[in-house]
Amino acid sequence: MTTQRNNLWQSVLGRGKKEAQVEIPPVEAPVAAIQHLGVDIAANDPLVAYFLTNRGAIELSRLNLDSPALTALRDAKVQIGVPLVSQGELIGLLSLGPRRSEQDYSADDRRLLNNLASQAAPSLRVAQLARQQQAAAAERERLEQELRVARIIQQTLLPKQTPKLPGWKLSTYWQPARAVGGDFYDFIEMADGRMCVIIADVTDKGVPAALVMASARSVLRGVVEQLDSPAKILERVNETLVPDIPPKMFITCLCVIFDPQTGVVRFSNAGHNLPILRTSTETVEVKATGMPLGLMPGMTYDEAEVTLKPGERMLLYSDGISEAHNPDREMFGFDRLHEVVAAHHSGALVEHLITALEEFVGSDWDQEDDVTFVLIKRSASETSDNVPGGRVLANFTVKSEPGNERAAMERVASVVESYLTADQLEKLKTAVAETIMNAMEHGNLYRSDIPVEIMALVAGEQLTIYVSDQGGTQSAYKLPEEPDLDAKLAGLDTPRGWGLFLIQNMVDEMNLIDNDDGHTVELKFNLQGEK
Amino acid sequence: MPQANVKMTVRKITDHTSVIDIEGEVTGFAENELMDAYTQATSAGAKAILLNFGQLEYMNSSGIGLLVTVLIRAQRQGQKLMACGLTEHYRQIFELTRLDDAIGIYGTEQEALAAAAA
Repeated sequence: MTTQRNNLWQSVLGRGKKEAQVEIPPVEAPVAAIQHLGVDIAANDPLVAYFLTNRGAIELSRLNLDSPALTALRDAKVQIGVPLVSQGELIGLLSLGPRRSEQDYSADDRRLLNNLASQAAPSLRVAQLARQQQAAAAERERLEQELRVARIIQQTLLPKQTPKLPGWKLSTYWQPARAVGGDFYDFIEMADGRMCVIIADVTDKGVPAALVMASARSVLRGVVEQLDSPAKILERVNETLVPDIPPKMFITCLCVIFDPQTGVVRFSNAGHNLPILRTSTETVEVKATGMPLGLMPGMTYDEAEVTLKPGERMLLYSDGISEAHNPDREMFGFDRLHEVVAAHHSGALVEHLITALEEFVGSDWDQEDDVTFVLIKRSASETSDNVPGGRVLANFTVKSEPGNERAAMERVASVVESYLTADQLEKLKTAVAETIMNAMEHGNLYRSDIPVEIMALVAGEQLTIYVSDQGGTQSAYKLPEEPDLDAKLAGLDTPRGWGLFLIQNMVDEMNLIDNDDGHTVELKFNLQGEK
Repeated sequence: MPQANVKMTVRKITDHTSVIDIEGEVTGFAENELMDAYTQATSAGAKAILLNFGQLEYMNSSGIGLLVTVLIRAQRQGQKLMACGLTEHYRQIFELTRLDDAIGIYGTEQEALAAAAA
């Protein structure tokens, strides 16, 4: 290609699915170069069909088409158009103005242009596809990044641990959905000793929802410090949020305040799922109505009151479970939720709910929304003092720190001593120490702020030691095969791993019970009467 | 980690026999003490090592794990491990865990040393 021709040709780039854009230099330009012509060719322009059926360099002045694009090209002084076609699609146009020599384009020129077009088209197509993919990847990355940020905000706002209240168990579960999020919960200890529990769901998703969540949380925390009625709290929070919350965004929320001494629970509801109360005999939804927070000013809220007796519990949840769909697009629904709650009066309810949900949605579930539970349970254990003929000999906690089992073991031994033979007492000491070690290590993972609870109870002809951890419901206790000393000596097995084996051989009976938030191991010793 | 609540003293009886007197708690924290004592006891060439549990206050499953580790070392080095002074309770635990198959158990130090010399 000569320098002169080189100066003359103009590129045409950038045809997407709908339109092609054409580049051309101003004809007058003394040093003509490649220039973007800025002519859009609509997909339905007759020129497109013409270019697709007539390849090669085309003299535009010879065309007689009712085509806006043709007019635009002619206005831009384009003389020759060379369609760039790839896989039956017009992806661009080489447009050339008049030759600088003012001579016509020769047959050689046209051949050259045709060759150029047939080679340029596939390369241009590849470049276009690569650019599209880059743009799509960048967009995906941007969305992912936004979701990550939102998730981090959300996680940061959730309590790191549930408060410990004597005689009460608070358990939580939070499983965020990949794309949508907006659930949060909170525990606020009130000045009068009562506990405020919040569960809430912000509509919308991503960073905006996370930011609304953050501000709602701090507003709630501030208001709970000043007011002591759930209805008044929600009223004030609503007034504060309404002016600031973005349009179409709102928050459903339950504000629950309970008195650990009396078991009295008062709550108000801002458009959230109603709490489910599980008593020893029935499973009921407790009603209180009110509009979601942030929708409109001047809202008032009902206040409901129930009393949790020992062993009773109240489940707060978000719609992530009730509105979960199975592969047949059936919804989990409230009935199923109530059935699960009704079916489990004791034991790890949250775990049962998760199991029921997992069975319902199947393994390929694309989780639609956050799934959140907060379970408020009044422990039944304080009634243990009243076991017929039973007596609590000891009830205390130890911090989960290595070595603490020894003192705890001695403490238990000192109070049960008079009930046991010397041989039994030694066995009890080993069993209790090993059980506490397991609870500290496998249950509480040696987190010193999480205690192990120990209770010794004598009832009838039996002494029972209860050792409870708060290590969640994961299976920390696997009953091992009988340890094999030969395998250990041969290096085929760890030298350790004797604990549970020892315990089982020291006691008359051992039971492992799953609680909502951990395990209780029961060690039973048969009393031999005489002592 | 808390300090090990244990004291181990090595006594050389003959060129072939050493005693490790164990006083206090044999738990996971006793690892360094026990391994050091064992090294000291065997570095002069002793082939029989007697663990004297006469002053043992407490042993737990981690301590048993330690004994297994020492036993592995003894077997590898061709040394004989013995124990004496165990209470009835810990003797039962040695039986339960079958440690008594691999560690010779004797009532007193004298009985153990007599057996080692035989």
